[in-house]
Amino acid sequence: MPMPDLAARVRRLLSLIPYVLKHQGVALSELSEVFDIPQDQLLKDLHLIFMCGQPDYSPADLIEVDIDDDRVFIRMADYFSRPLRFTPSELSGLYMACGALVKLSGLPSSPALLSAMKKIEKVLDMSLPAEVNIEESVEVRPLSPEHRILGKLSSAADRRRVVEMEYYTYGRDELTRRKVHPLSLEFGMGHWYLRAWDEKRGKVRIFRVDRVKDLRVTRKTFEPVPEEGTGESGPYGAAEKGEIEVRLRFSPSLAGWAGEQRLFSRVEEEGDGVSCILYTDNLSWVERELLKYGPQVEVISPPELKRRLGDRARRLLSIYEDEV
Amino acid sequence: MNKAERLINLIAMLLEARRPVTLDRIRASIPGYHQATTASFKRMFERDKSDLREMGVPIQVEPVDPFGEEVGYHIPKEDYYLPEIEFTPEEKVALFLVNRLSSGEMIPLSREARSALLKLSPDLGDGSRLGQPGSLHLKFSAQGEAPDDMARLWKAVVGRRTVRFTYRSLGNSEEHERFLDPYGLYFERGAWYVVGHCHLRGDIRSFRLSRMKSGVELAGGCGEEPDFQRPADFRLEEYSRILPWEFEDGAEYTAMVRFGPRMAWLVERDLGEVYRFEASGDGGGILEVKVRNEDAFCNWLLSFAEDAEVVSPSELREKVCKRLRMILERAGVDADA
Repeated sequence: MPMPDLAARVRRLLSLIPYVLKHQGVALSELSEVFDIPQDQLLKDLHLIFMCGQPDYSPADLIEVDIDDDRVFIRMADYFSRPLRFTPSELSGLYMACGALVKLSGLPSSPALLSAMKKIEKVLDMSLPAEVNIEESVEVRPLSPEHRILGKLSSAADRRRVVEMEYYTYGRDELTRRKVHPLSLEFGMGHWYLRAWDEKRGKVRIFRVDRVKDLRVTRKTFEPVPEEGTGESGPYGAAEKGEIEVRLRFSPSLAGWAGEQRLFSRVEEEGDGVSCILYTDNLSWVERELLKYGPQVEVISPPELKRRLGDRARRLLSIYEDEV
Repeated sequence: MNKAERLINLIAMLLEARRPVTLDRIRASIPGYHQATTASFKRMFERDKSDLREMGVPIQVEPVDPFGEEVGYHIPKEDYYLPEIEFTPEEKVALFLVNRLSSGEMIPLSREARSALLKLSPDLGDGSRLGQPGSLHLKFSAQGEAPDDMARLWKAVVGRRTVRFTYRSLGNSEEHERFLDPYGLYFERGAWYVVGHCHLRGDIRSFRLSRMKSGVELAGGCGEEPDFQRPADFRLEEYSRILPWEFEDGAEYTAMVRFGPRMAWLVERDLGEVYRFEASGDGGGILEVKVRNEDAFCNWLLSFAEDAEVVSPSELREKVCKRLRMILERAGVDADA
């Protein structure tokens, strides 16, 4: 088995040469982006190509590489005019990735994706080995409940239309109406997140797409704000936010679970349970989390949270006891 | 001499050769080979050849004389060259998105998918060549699971190979070695699971990849025969859609849960395809939930606080009350105050 770096480099070189041959004068920056490598690595690759050719490797036999004003030209490499064919694993990988994209996004581009795959199959005259059945071996659970909202947001972002939406803020446990400029949509940790400029708050905020109750794409268009320093940086930066320090202790049976959560800034083993710390500006979502894990978690501080949890549990209990 | 350079030169030579090239000529021609002694050249060449074949380079061996005493090597162009494919702008966008998804390595064989897309890249160009790059604002962030384990598990599923790994289940601080006949992989709520026949439990179980404490290894024989057969009636989607409160032992029954208008839409969106939901006039509604594991059910129910209430059965209502009293006790508040 070749060393992974070497194999990756040889594979890249075998596609890089045909790329330049087909797009003579391509910018270094484009190559660096398409092949996902920093520019110094790209220059090393181009330099290596320049050393290759046919026997006897006299100047007339070598591949010609010219970099002129950041534009790349390759000549004398007709034998590398096309990339190498797919391996069966590459075809499987591509199928799996296409399937996952359709399941996760339910995109309007799904028909285009299917037709692209059909073309690939037909032109390559290649299909998966008989024992490989992608659908039977891998299942990506479709996020169909989110697809309708996702599709609307995606098309609004394409057309730069202002969106009015009703959104459930988990942290505050409230439904609010907002006007936003949808910038991008990102999938991570099992959910789609919308990155958008919030008109009223004057900041870029991250919204979870499944918590958008309803939305209307208006006729008003917007100019995207420059992205730097305009608000939240990533969708899941739950840790280390807010002024209130909350300390919780989980029983041993939930210790493993607590260790997997991203909302805690710190998780420490304590006896056979764990003690966890999180920072927040708002306690109402913490109350809900605590109700959820009930007897398995204990509030160490602040005392206010302990009192609020008690009040809430008593209120809930009265709903059930009144009718019994 | 750089090995990548030697491999590229070797491919170039074997692609251009009109007839199979003998070892002697390869050795005499390619820099890096001709400096080596005969024995070390042969070792180098054998390794290079197998490395290239593993990358999918179709190197062929043919006799070069009528007696078949000497052989030569070549690469048939038609087996090497990827035919040109013309994609529409919409198809290009779709494939760019597949590339983004693969970059995050969130699904098995992402590296292989990326490598396939690199091979298509001369025909795809980059996004800037498209006039209206619709949907290109969609992004995918990386998943945490080890790509090598995902690939190995998937190959074991397809090849019917028993695997071995160390696992720490939730609610259990001990790690156990597990032997599993993997039937399938599924991605659910942001995490990957492998489901199959667990030798320890003697039953079908799911394992979350992030809770594996060791890498995944093949544990069965290395012969041609598969280690196991997947039951013909196994359906992956039946396991991938199991909700936490449907897991485990205990008899299954139906519970009616009323949701208030503030939250009903969220619940209906999330579970409306799985359970019957009957909307009431005020925007709320009643959901028919299948319950097996009452603790897990209570966890979920109480996360909705006042916005959800068990209507029936009364035993389950009592269970919720018990849970609430325990919370009160823990909070140091008297239930009757």
